[in-house]
Parts: sequence; C-alpha cells; structure tokens
Amino acid sequence: MYKLFISKKLSTKDLLNKVLKKYNIKSNIIYNEFGKPFLKNNELYFSLSNSKEYSVCVISDSNIGVDIEYITYKPSILNKICTNDEKKLIHNANDFTKMWVKKESYVKYLGIGLSYGLKNVDTLKLDIIVKKYNDYYIAISM
Amino acid sequence: MKKDDNKELNKVIDIISKTCEIDKKNIKESSNLLTDLELESLDVVDLIVAFENEFNIEIQDQDIKNFQTVGDIVNYLKAHV
Repeated sequence: MYKLFISKKLSTKDLLNKVLKKYNIKSNIIYNEFGKPFLKNNELYFSLSNSKEYSVCVISDSNIGVDIEYITYKPSILNKICTNDEKKLIHNANDFTKMWVKKESYVKYLGIGLSYGLKNVDTLKLDIIVKKYNDYYIAISM
Repeated sequence: MKKDDNKELNKVIDIISKTCEIDKKNIKESSNLLTDLELESLDVVDLIVAFENEFNIEIQDQDIKNFQTVGDIVNYLKAHV
C-alpha cells in the first residue's frame, strides 16, 4: 500500500514536509551510509525524486523507492546500465526512460543507489510499477 | 596547485561542461555535483561513461558514491589513469 504525491512547484524537501504535515508526522529524518532517508522512530517509509520541474514523494508502510525522469534518450550509457536482453528492448526515448526509472527506483528501494550497479538490476525479472505522467515516467519499487 | 593538477582539473571541467551542458565558469574544483551543479543520477552516469571513454578506464560502481565534488573526480582519475 503506497501513496504517490506529485508537485510541479515544490522542491522534494518541501513536498516531503507538506506530506508529513498532512499526516501529522513529526519524526526527524536520518540517512543510511548511501544517503537513503528514513523517518526516525517511525514505521512509515518514504522516497523522493525530482526531474526538471517535477518533484515526487511516495509513502508506504513498507520499504519503497521512487524515481521520476523527463522522457529522454542517452544511448551512450546503455552498455553501462543494461543487460544484453534489456538492450534489445530499447529502441527510443520512451523505452529508455521507462528502463531508467525502473532501475533507479529499485536501487533507491534497496537503499544503495548507483553504487549497486544499474546493470545488476535486471528489470526483466522484477515487478516494478511504471506510470507515464505528461512528458515524464515515474517508477515505484516495493 | 601544480601545473599538472590544473591540467587534469581543466580536462574534467571540460568534460562536465560538454556532457552536462553547464557553463565552465560555474564549475569549480569544490563544486558539489548534486547540490552545486544540480546533476541528477542520469547526468552522473552519463559523466561516468564520458570519463571512461576519455581516459580509457572502467570506473567501478562502488566508487561512484565517492564522487561528491569535482575535486573528488580529479583525484580518482589521478589515482587510476
């Protein structure tokens, strides 16, 4: 069970503060060694992301990771981030961005970030939620 | 700073400027990639690949978390190239 909040005006920090205020949560934020934020002494999980003018925040009663990205295409990094099977499925900016947000949301879910190695995230074997929002894709791993 | 340090720094600044479309005058050795240059994860991976191609090295995934500032990248390249 999760809730997704999207803002065009607020920074991720301000969006999180607004969400916490809505739910009357006053916990401090702590970080793991890779920078993943958690609420101190609270069982609610959250994840934040931003791309260009949009910020997103997800909250959940279990671990969660979110990523938003403006639809883009950077074929130069395919070898760095994709398995051979994944590469065969990427033909345009939509394919690329969907793949990217899936991988990013998953490493944020794990709480390790880019250090995990995006190529190690095999999106063909993972069930990750992907939504299109205007010119952006949003992925949620949980 | 030695002359060689400046050469490495200038090359790194050139690559960041070209890859991420940031004016060179806004990129300093102390610039934080995320907070000062406002790079997103996609930009960081794009940069990593650009450095790998330019310096003919492979940057290990677990080393990425050490790249906080432009200076961190310069130091990494000096140690690994």
